[in-house]
Amino acid sequence: MSVAINIDKVTKIFGKDTIISGLSLAVKPGEFFTLLGPSGCGKTTLLRMIIGFNSIEGGEISIDGKVVNDIPTNLRNMGMVFQNYAIFPHMSVKENVAFGLKNRKISKEEIEQRVDDILDTVKIKHLKDRMPSQLSGGQQQRVALARAIVIHPEVLLMDEPLSNLDAKLRVEMRNAIKLIQKKIGITTIYVTHDQEEALAVSDRIAIMYGGVIQQIGTPQEIYRRPVNTFVATFIGLSNILKTKVAVKNGLQGLSFGDYWVAMPGLAASTYEGSEVIVAVRPEEFFIDEKLTTGIPATIRHSVFLGVNTHYFLELSGGQEIEVIQNTELTNSGVGSKVYLTVDAPKINVFTADGTQNLIAGGRGDETERL
Amino acid sequence: MKQKGFNVWIGIAVVLLAFFTLFVVYPLAQVLYKSVLASNTSELTFTLDYFEKFFARKYYWSTLVNSFYVTVASTLLASLIGLPMAYLLRSYKVPCSKYLNILIVISYLSPPFIGAYAWIQLFGRNGFWTKFLTESFGWHVPSIYGFTGIVLVFSLQSFPLIYMYVSGALKNLDNSLNEAAESLGLNAFQRVIKIILPLVMPSLLAGALLVFMRVFSDFGTPMLIGEGFRTFPVLIYTQFMGEVSTDDHFAAALCVIIIAITLLLFFMQRYLASKYAYSMTALKPMEQVEPKGIRKVFAYLFVYGIAFLAILPQLTVIYTSFLETSGGTVYTGNLGFSNYENTLLAKDNNSILNTYIFGLCAISLVVVIGVFVAYLTARKKSFVTEILDTLTMFPYIIPGSVLGISFLYAFNSRPLLLSGTAIIIILSLAIRRMPYTIRSSTAIISQISPSIEEAAISLGSTEFQTFRKVTVPMMLPGVMAGAIMSWITLISELSSSIILYTSSTSTLTVAIYAEVIRSNFGNAAAYSTILTLTSIVSLLLFFKLTKNKDISV
Repeated sequence: MSVAINIDKVTKIFGKDTIISGLSLAVKPGEFFTLLGPSGCGKTTLLRMIIGFNSIEGGEISIDGKVVNDIPTNLRNMGMVFQNYAIFPHMSVKENVAFGLKNRKISKEEIEQRVDDILDTVKIKHLKDRMPSQLSGGQQQRVALARAIVIHPEVLLMDEPLSNLDAKLRVEMRNAIKLIQKKIGITTIYVTHDQEEALAVSDRIAIMYGGVIQQIGTPQEIYRRPVNTFVATFIGLSNILKTKVAVKNGLQGLSFGDYWVAMPGLAASTYEGSEVIVAVRPEEFFIDEKLTTGIPATIRHSVFLGVNTHYFLELSGGQEIEVIQNTELTNSGVGSKVYLTVDAPKINVFTADGTQNLIAGGRGDETERL
Repeated sequence: MKQKGFNVWIGIAVVLLAFFTLFVVYPLAQVLYKSVLASNTSELTFTLDYFEKFFARKYYWSTLVNSFYVTVASTLLASLIGLPMAYLLRSYKVPCSKYLNILIVISYLSPPFIGAYAWIQLFGRNGFWTKFLTESFGWHVPSIYGFTGIVLVFSLQSFPLIYMYVSGALKNLDNSLNEAAESLGLNAFQRVIKIILPLVMPSLLAGALLVFMRVFSDFGTPMLIGEGFRTFPVLIYTQFMGEVSTDDHFAAALCVIIIAITLLLFFMQRYLASKYAYSMTALKPMEQVEPKGIRKVFAYLFVYGIAFLAILPQLTVIYTSFLETSGGTVYTGNLGFSNYENTLLAKDNNSILNTYIFGLCAISLVVVIGVFVAYLTARKKSFVTEILDTLTMFPYIIPGSVLGISFLYAFNSRPLLLSGTAIIIILSLAIRRMPYTIRSSTAIISQISPSIEEAAISLGSTEFQTFRKVTVPMMLPGVMAGAIMSWITLISELSSSIILYTSSTSTLTVAIYAEVIRSNFGNAAAYSTILTLTSIVSLLLFFKLTKNKDISV
């Protein structure tokens, strides 16, 4: 009963500016799909095209094969949760939730029943007769969610629904949203700029930048094998190092000065001396004072965070990098000269322009290459 | 995305555009047309004779000079009274300041000419104090007629406007600005001059412009208390309505001149306001402190003194309404209700009922149109709605008497024969108030997040259903509060009604004016008291509805 959403080469033009040009993506039935990107990347624009608040200047959006381009929003049967909740301030919680049902000519008894059920699902049944001004942010958020899903929409759209909540409530609500979505099994598109939130709730994520989808994949795929340096630095943190491919004993690898590391998975297009960009996440470095080979570095300062410790080091070329190590009894101190090694199977290697991942496994995911 | 709802909105926009074209543009075009059309030939001949006539004869152009004298003097004085009044009441704890506030508002809400006639009652040739002082002490009381009287009445009548604007701005002024200035070494006086005054300047200018327009175009006051000192609106009125030598075309030319002046002022104010615009929201407003020593004496003296002077005309009118008269003109010195019997119970007297009916009809019209125009200009921006936005602001700069005259020019013949009907008065009242209501409605609508309307649409409402069920109910409290204020201003409107009324469509203000002209002060006082009472009741309703929100006019 869940629907698939297919977005086929859609284009959005505001005045003279093309915001989105020929963007395609497919959302599977019942999937929790997230559009993630920095502000201004076009993710909210795309969401508003799906629900119909924005016109579509080219391409098609279809729900289960039915093109919706020309269907007015009020007939599209999509539920939306807004960033500022958009709770009707002059109506009680019950009236807010019943609003969409009343537009659908449903009997009074059934409205009553469905409102009660949904308020139960989002756990605010006791607030039924309150006015919005008497509700906290989290409670308003639950009303907005209940109001959007009570109409049994084919698609649920959420536009940064958690950005107005404080940090603790945000975690609580994102878990609640995920649970409710799975329970109802509704195809959901979720927009956020918060990568941690996206990783936590999504089945799949589309990373958007400049109106273009950079990568689509599960949270794990995107974190482990970003397709380009933008994704590598936008999702989590990556230290970007410039280096060259070096062959040693017939094996392809990377050289960092004297330090050489074997990289068996590199794409065939690379050759001895190819310039590449290496993205190493802070936890993919190892610090060792005893080693004599590795990337030489000096610890400039460190931040102790309990479970682990963040180190800020300076490479011999002057570049600053960040490394995270588990907290041990004998961690190196500030000023120490150390050697760094990398966790070769985990790190990512990109072409010199940063647009392509050169690790063969980087293409193992389902991303449609763009 | 094209929706059916969108076409409904285009339809409404076009209907509204037609309405404003017919009742704003067309009458004004008539005025302009008449002002340059030779009257003595049967052919259509362009002429500037009327303008030449005006500027050639001192008898005419001196009225314009007089008007400027009076207006500049009154605006300055009103600012000099209103500014300290607002500052003192915001920064010092003054006993009964809440009631002072209401008194000031009431004094503003009554028509200025009632102030003129009340001051004549007190200090005029046969005024109470004039007689008392001359007979008891042999003092010579300086004449209240002419320039002095007009400026006195206008200043006391208009300073509340400055007071309200500045008081509103001071409320939004964060006290930390004051504290920052103090920490940087400024004393109290320097802080007022260097920090507070510049920050309230835009509001002061906006208020001053309103005062200027109001004073410049008011004709009742100079008519009653001006005597030989004739101002421009008086000239317009006499040229149009006078018993001798009325000249339609000349009056039209005068209308064009006054519109040109108000238009110029309007743009000047806009320029100044945009140059000195600050957006402020106070997290922590100025604290009211207890004044000490000599400051306390002066502050209280000023605040109470001005409030007393401002409300004095109202008190005079209410008091005299209970004085018995012989033949309406001469007070016998006894108290009684005969004035009320003569007014409330008089036969064929519709003016009280008319006032209420016209006011309510006009207010309904203003609110409905205002909400639609505000919605269209805020939410459905297009070429048509932009024109609509500009058109609806026109009446803001058109003096009431000019609007009245233009209506008579435009709707005096079939098929648009409206003159003499109640409709023409209702329309003129509605049109005059329209810009204010549209502005406040637009402000209200811009406070509503568009996503609330989008939510309703996503839940299956059409655009029009959303407007009806979500947008309008959310706007309603603010719009109703504005409507009450509009109602109070409408029932005290004189300058266009006096031109448009006939015996069956007379209103309270027209009746008061007519009685004053006939020196039937008893009846005038009774009518005025009824008007004031209505205003007070409406004002209390406003405070109840808005939970003591600040008044904006």
